[in-house]
Amino acid sequence: MSIKFLKALSMLITVSLLMVASAGCGGSGGGGSGNSDEIVIGVLVPTSGSEAYYGTDMLQSYQLAVDEINEAGGVLGRTLTLYQADDGCNANMATQAASKIVSHGVDFVVGGYCSGATIPALQQFYDANLVTLVSAANSTEITKLGLNQTFMFNSPGNHAADTLVDLLRFLGSQSVALIHQGDAYTKDLSDICESVLPQNGIDIATVQVMEKGSADVSAIVTAIRNSGADFVYWCGYHADGSNVIKQLRQGGYEGDIAVGDGSASVELITASGPAGEGVYVTSPPFVEFASGGDTFVADYTAKFGAGPGTYATLCYDTMYVLKEAIEKVGSTDFEQVRDAVQNADYKGLSGRIKFTSDRELEVSNFIILQIKDGSFALVTI
Amino acid sequence: MFSTWELILQQLVNGLILGSFYALIALGYSMVYGIIKLLNFAHGDIYMTGAFVCLTVFGALSRAVAGWPGIILSIVAAMFLAGILGYLTQRFAYRPVLGAPRLSLLITAIGVSLVIYNAVMVITNSQPLFFVSGLDNSAGIQVGNITITYIQMILLVVSSVLMIGLTLFIGRTMIGKAMRAIAMDQDTCRLMGINVNKIIGLTFVIGSALAAIAGGMACVYYGNVQFNMGYTMGIKAFTAAVIGGIGSIPGAMLGGILLGLLEAIGTQFLGSSWKDVFAFGLLILILILRPNGLLGRSVVERM
Repeated sequence: MSIKFLKALSMLITVSLLMVASAGCGGSGGGGSGNSDEIVIGVLVPTSGSEAYYGTDMLQSYQLAVDEINEAGGVLGRTLTLYQADDGCNANMATQAASKIVSHGVDFVVGGYCSGATIPALQQFYDANLVTLVSAANSTEITKLGLNQTFMFNSPGNHAADTLVDLLRFLGSQSVALIHQGDAYTKDLSDICESVLPQNGIDIATVQVMEKGSADVSAIVTAIRNSGADFVYWCGYHADGSNVIKQLRQGGYEGDIAVGDGSASVELITASGPAGEGVYVTSPPFVEFASGGDTFVADYTAKFGAGPGTYATLCYDTMYVLKEAIEKVGSTDFEQVRDAVQNADYKGLSGRIKFTSDRELEVSNFIILQIKDGSFALVTI
Repeated sequence: MFSTWELILQQLVNGLILGSFYALIALGYSMVYGIIKLLNFAHGDIYMTGAFVCLTVFGALSRAVAGWPGIILSIVAAMFLAGILGYLTQRFAYRPVLGAPRLSLLITAIGVSLVIYNAVMVITNSQPLFFVSGLDNSAGIQVGNITITYIQMILLVVSSVLMIGLTLFIGRTMIGKAMRAIAMDQDTCRLMGINVNKIIGLTFVIGSALAAIAGGMACVYYGNVQFNMGYTMGIKAFTAAVIGGIGSIPGAMLGGILLGLLEAIGTQFLGSSWKDVFAFGLLILILILRPNGLLGRSVVERM
């Protein structure tokens, strides 16, 4: 207990030091829109911590779009620049990062990977009148905040559940076991499945929690086998997902396994090894399967030396939607750009981007993949 | 579907595996507490370091020595390096404050824990690493509906051998006797010509090597290694050591196995979200009934 307390204490001291430091330079911020040569866009993504891989991929994807736009003459004759802050996929760091972005005086905000880290930051962007485009985080809790300048470019969890229902019907599965990790995003996805699946005549056999930081799920696997589930849906992230898949097979579970979009990573394939064969993924639009994705992959790879990740197309599209909105209204005025994004209808690499009045995507962009011979293959139903 | 006894038996197997991890780590907590009354909070991080060394060495060796020989070599390397790390923490962080009030020693231990934790976090850039051995983790035997994999059997055998070996070492050798004597009275030991510092150092080396073996086995068995993996594991192993009676070697093993079993049974009958509430609730009850732990004694002898 005392170590936890001390960790909290040292964190508190660090936070207060940082706040003193950022207050010191806060006076010069707040005037980003005053500089007429640049449009500054704040980027909130994790570039450290367990999800740093995704955060870096997102940042690079924004950078690619920004560089393209600037080479083509910028927006309204002004160049776009990015100002990144690291949320570490953690609520404490995210609030600090958000303060950093706000006090830097940005014009707009993009980013958002871990919902648990994104949600605490969003209120600050709302208070600062910044149009905020959330590219990847997709907890329905974001919608529930009701912030009228925050738009979600990724299909929310209920779209994933709809896609999962399609897959379950296709496979003829009757009874599903859900596993989540107890945090905002994974619990949210699990809760949605728990309500959507029974509405479609599919039983929920059991819901299990694998705490973050604990590696052993053998007891959970036995409980799942005993529940009679013929399908397991892992709602968590890929770092633990591969371990769960391996232990399910080790523990004698023989039914189908699917994982949510938090685990949609090629790392899942290498890490889960032979146990991963045949595992399904309810995935965000992977660029390899998008029309017009080839050029994007080529440009991205040429620039960063490695191919784009799962959320790259969403981020790329986010930047272009923002560009079109600014150009449409001819200024960076908060209310005008906000309304322009609300009315956007854009066909991008990630699919159609059009918002409901709740500022969620109108049409699901989820696809179903399956691990076959060590790589992802598209499943068409 | 399982029959009731199959279900309980399978959960006992699950609990036993998890419990042997707890027990191996708990031994280090207990040995160190027994000998210098220090709650070595850095122990969980030594476990994590062991896992990282195992993974790194295995990766480096994989061209030359793969499969089981590679795994054994990697775990031996992890034992070695973790043993050295354990010795260094003792030599440079704990020994200078051994004479100071107990709280200073405790705070030093927390400091050492944070240093190792953050160093590994920076070195690995906070990324999880994956152990890809090419071995078939699922291979095993099936009795009725009960599944036991070969890796699980190896884990159980290895940890049993280690625990029996350690018990014999402490109970039957001169060094073990010296350890027990130091636990009773350091000053008298000095007067009797026992090299107290050397024995304390050796205690850290053995405890750290055991934690590193647990780390190496976790790396092979679970397959993913993260800088924060030692935290929960450390807290739970520490709990196991206290339940068994901190300072008692058989107590640490008993506490570890018991905690693992309670978690597995709790998961089955109350659900995974309640398993810790169940396990720790029962543990509090045990402590109320036996404040010194199951095998702990209230007298000064603690080894």
